[in-house]
Amino acid sequence: MRTDLALPWQTQATMKQPVDDLDLIRRMQAGDDNAVRDLYAQYGQRLYAYALRLTNDPATAEDLTQSTLVTAWRTARNFRGEGRLIAWLLGIVHHAAMKSLRGITNYLDEVAEETVSEDQPSPEEQAQVRDERRWVRQGIQSLSPEHRAVLDLIFYQGLSLNEAAQVLNIPVGTVKSRLSYARDHLRGVLTRTEER
Amino acid sequence: MNHEEQLIRYAANQLNESEHVDFEKHLAGCASCQADLILWKSLANEVIASDSAVPAPVHLVDSALEVIHAPSKLTRAFKSTAQLLRMQLLLMHNELWFGSAALMFIFLAMALLVARVEVLHFFVPMIAAGTVTLIYGSEHDPAAELTFATPISPWKILLARLTLVSAYNVFLALCATVGLLLILPPQALGELILGWLAPMTFLSALALLLSLWIGTSNALFISYTLWAAQYLAWTSIGEWFAFLSPWLESYRQFWNDPVLLFLLGFALILFALWSAGHEQVQWHRSVVL
Repeated sequence: MRTDLALPWQTQATMKQPVDDLDLIRRMQAGDDNAVRDLYAQYGQRLYAYALRLTNDPATAEDLTQSTLVTAWRTARNFRGEGRLIAWLLGIVHHAAMKSLRGITNYLDEVAEETVSEDQPSPEEQAQVRDERRWVRQGIQSLSPEHRAVLDLIFYQGLSLNEAAQVLNIPVGTVKSRLSYARDHLRGVLTRTEER
Repeated sequence: MNHEEQLIRYAANQLNESEHVDFEKHLAGCASCQADLILWKSLANEVIASDSAVPAPVHLVDSALEVIHAPSKLTRAFKSTAQLLRMQLLLMHNELWFGSAALMFIFLAMALLVARVEVLHFFVPMIAAGTVTLIYGSEHDPAAELTFATPISPWKILLARLTLVSAYNVFLALCATVGLLLILPPQALGELILGWLAPMTFLSALALLLSLWIGTSNALFISYTLWAAQYLAWTSIGEWFAFLSPWLESYRQFWNDPVLLFLLGFALILFALWSAGHEQVQWHRSVVL
């Protein structure tokens, strides 16, 4: 029996005619504007979701997604087809996001940690305080961008551990340790919630 | 592959058929993995649900294409430089162009009449120095207030005007030098140009800096005096000037050292550009105020 997780972009891809990655790259190299449109139709949702996951800010996520399309256009010749195109594109998003987050990462982490440990729910929210999903969401948000990135790459983007390591430019062992940390962190958040 | 890694891949639907079957066998008898699986599935479900809930804005691809087809930084820099030069050309006095051309023609005619290249060597740096003292500041710019109200830095305005006037001065001087070939062989062209180029650079830079600091009239007086001093026969004025002779020789050598003149000239230009943005060093403006 397979687990019941279904990735929305997989469902969408089956409804539309999938675009060949190498063909997209060749068309971008040839200066075809429609290749960028097809690339966005194929992968835009995933790129934007990843950027938003890293930054928690829609405006910054839009900037990152746009700059990723521009970078993909300008460096299309660097893609050799050794890996999947989506992994290459996510690597561009990640690199740009880490550059833009540098310097404010600590601030984001502190704010998020405070949100989880100190935030007192409103009366309406207290009725839902046992809502596990809400705490899972807050638990994920309180992780650092690096840890959120690993979760997103594995569970939403459908990348293997090796591909995630390539996107993040870190060893596979570090990907595993970040996953373990995320699991322990979430377990801690849920345990604290149950104790309240 | 350990169970933790398999568990993650199981939760992410990344195991192949045989791995999947094998792991489910293990899972059935492992309470720890079952507990962890609930946690991983909660994480995975939340990541998928929240990512799927944010549709990518449709306009991003159009804005990306706009950036892709926008002119390069180099092209933009070239266009803005050309625009700045054109704007400053319109703002500067027209008399400056006609005046320096007329003076250059007169001194070329004089040099040809007396058949002495020294005439041109003497007057070319003076014409250039005279024109650069007239390019900047409220004294000579009818649109000074408008100019300084624009977001363009003062040093960029000064550099644009200096570039225009210097290029024009060099052009005029080259034309005059070619004119001298009427009385000199073509082989002398290089030596003729070197004769005025370095002194012109230094004297213009000095006059520009002084005009910013102490005003046009003072700048002209000091720079012309310093330039002319090397040509004066001081001992003929009075015997008591004899003590100046050794010093005068060094002074004349200074004006004939092109490397030193170029280096000092460029240093003075940099100093002048810096001064353009600092009114506190422009003493004549403080006095006027």
